[in-house]
Amino acid sequence: MSEEPFIQLNDLHHNYLRGTPLEVIALRGVSMEIYKGESVGIIGRTGAGKSTVVQHFNGLIRPREPGRVIVDGQDLNDPDVDIRRIRQKIGLVFQYPEQQLFERLVGDDIAFGPKKLGMEPADRRERVKWAMDMVGLDFEEFKDRFTFSLSGGEMRKAALAGVMALQPEVLILDESTSGVDPRSRRELLERLSTLHKDYGLMLVFVSPNMDDMAGLVDRIYVMDEGRVVMSGTTRAVFSQPEKLREHGLGVPQVTEVIHELIARGIKVEQIPVTVEEGAEEVWKILNS
Amino acid sequence: MSVTSVEQIVKIQGLHFHYNPQSEHPIHALKGIDLDISPGDYLVIVGHNGSGKSTLAKNINVLLRPTEGNVWVKGMNTRELANTLAIRSAVGMVFQIPDNQIVATIVEQDVAFGPENLGVPEDELRERVDWALGVVDMLGYRHRQPHRLSAGQKQRVAIAGVMAMKPEVLILDEATSMLDPEGRRDVLAAVRKLNEEGVTVIAITHFMHEAAEGNRVIVMEGGKIVMAGMPREVFSHVKELRTMQLDVPQTTELAYRMNQRDPTFPPDLLLVNEVADEIQRRVNGRSGT
Repeated sequence: MSEEPFIQLNDLHHNYLRGTPLEVIALRGVSMEIYKGESVGIIGRTGAGKSTVVQHFNGLIRPREPGRVIVDGQDLNDPDVDIRRIRQKIGLVFQYPEQQLFERLVGDDIAFGPKKLGMEPADRRERVKWAMDMVGLDFEEFKDRFTFSLSGGEMRKAALAGVMALQPEVLILDESTSGVDPRSRRELLERLSTLHKDYGLMLVFVSPNMDDMAGLVDRIYVMDEGRVVMSGTTRAVFSQPEKLREHGLGVPQVTEVIHELIARGIKVEQIPVTVEEGAEEVWKILNS
Repeated sequence: MSVTSVEQIVKIQGLHFHYNPQSEHPIHALKGIDLDISPGDYLVIVGHNGSGKSTLAKNINVLLRPTEGNVWVKGMNTRELANTLAIRSAVGMVFQIPDNQIVATIVEQDVAFGPENLGVPEDELRERVDWALGVVDMLGYRHRQPHRLSAGQKQRVAIAGVMAMKPEVLILDEATSMLDPEGRRDVLAAVRKLNEEGVTVIAITHFMHEAAEGNRVIVMEGGKIVMAGMPREVFSHVKELRTMQLDVPQTTELAYRMNQRDPTFPPDLLLVNEVADEIQRRVNGRSGT
């Protein structure tokens, strides 16, 4: 890609509790780029530094020299940068989205961001409706519901709608689908995939599980011990199961089956990352 | 009241449970559950949020009591208040979010908390804590502060804390859902080891390939058990599971898809090696003819 990346992270270092005996090194020189129109995965075992990295994306953590973060041409090292504008462009949904809800009513919670942006009540209402529609929460049914009365899946949708209401250009999901049951997860991922394809929303998925993002991301960064240890297309990364295992990760079961066949000397054309691709590949093997 | 056979460590008969039974809109969470669990079973319960699986688990260790029907643990009825402590020390439970289960400020003190309260003498206490931390591979963190650990590490501490009480039944309520693959592997290996030592395991999970760990699986939907059997039997019902929008393990789904294209391909394969074996057999057979 020749154009400038939309987000550029350069040589990020970060230590928690710096200067204390409990100091923990979280990042040891991380560089990443996210280009317009991309969907990118960041995977790594717990403690790899994934969440610390994504908090740099929207200035929740400011880069420490010599590290640099450039978002849409804005330098986050600059103390005078308009951080609110950055945070509007880059939406971040955390692991426990229910902790992101704080208003009593669902509609108010989702309207909070647009209100802070100074939108008029009528426009705000439209924006909330749009955001709820995007995540699959019925406006009439849910706007006056108490946030605490929602199910886990609904809370996640409401939190996501609150972030979407700012119409961000990038949406970061930091393990936002772990602990969600398969039905809600699939529905959520389908919606995000649609937003990505139809509206060009850039997506950054953070997860320790390969299966979560196999069919959804174009590229993957693998992190371990505060560094990027592998990167490339999803297929290229999944083609190296031994290396992934060294970093405490697995490949989807269907990819594992194909690797097992390769180990047994069976010729395979392409490493599948989804079950659909796997079935296609096995069919080819059996009929070649 | 019927007498339970000692054969079953947990026996559930006609269990109904309502949340807020006195209110105008009681929630009927369990609608007639019958279930027998034998000592040494590894039972996996799958189902969506709201299907009643956690409610069922909480009825086993007396966090909840039946609205209707009965639950016996080791022959003790959960309805009788006098049995509560004995049942809870026999049934340990680990929950989804580790932060909610950690009480102490040092890892080994947290693990010691349960057995210490049971009055376990000091020497044995040390032994148990070492053993439990070893099982979950957290010995190296024994002097650390739990709140500084990652979610996965905290969960392993929580599991160690329950294991240190040496329960006969271990209930895992989506206990692995916040762990990374490595953490999950370690925890599952530990649970398997405990099961081999005779601990009865009841695991609630969303991860279908984890369900393959058990010797029995039940699928819950709308407060009822809708499917039951060995993992292989249950997962071979790909269509029905799909209708309920539950996942099946990728291996089984792959076998199912192959079976759709070629009916001679067995649809009920569960393990990676089984699928690879079947494909290899076919490749070899073809080159042989």
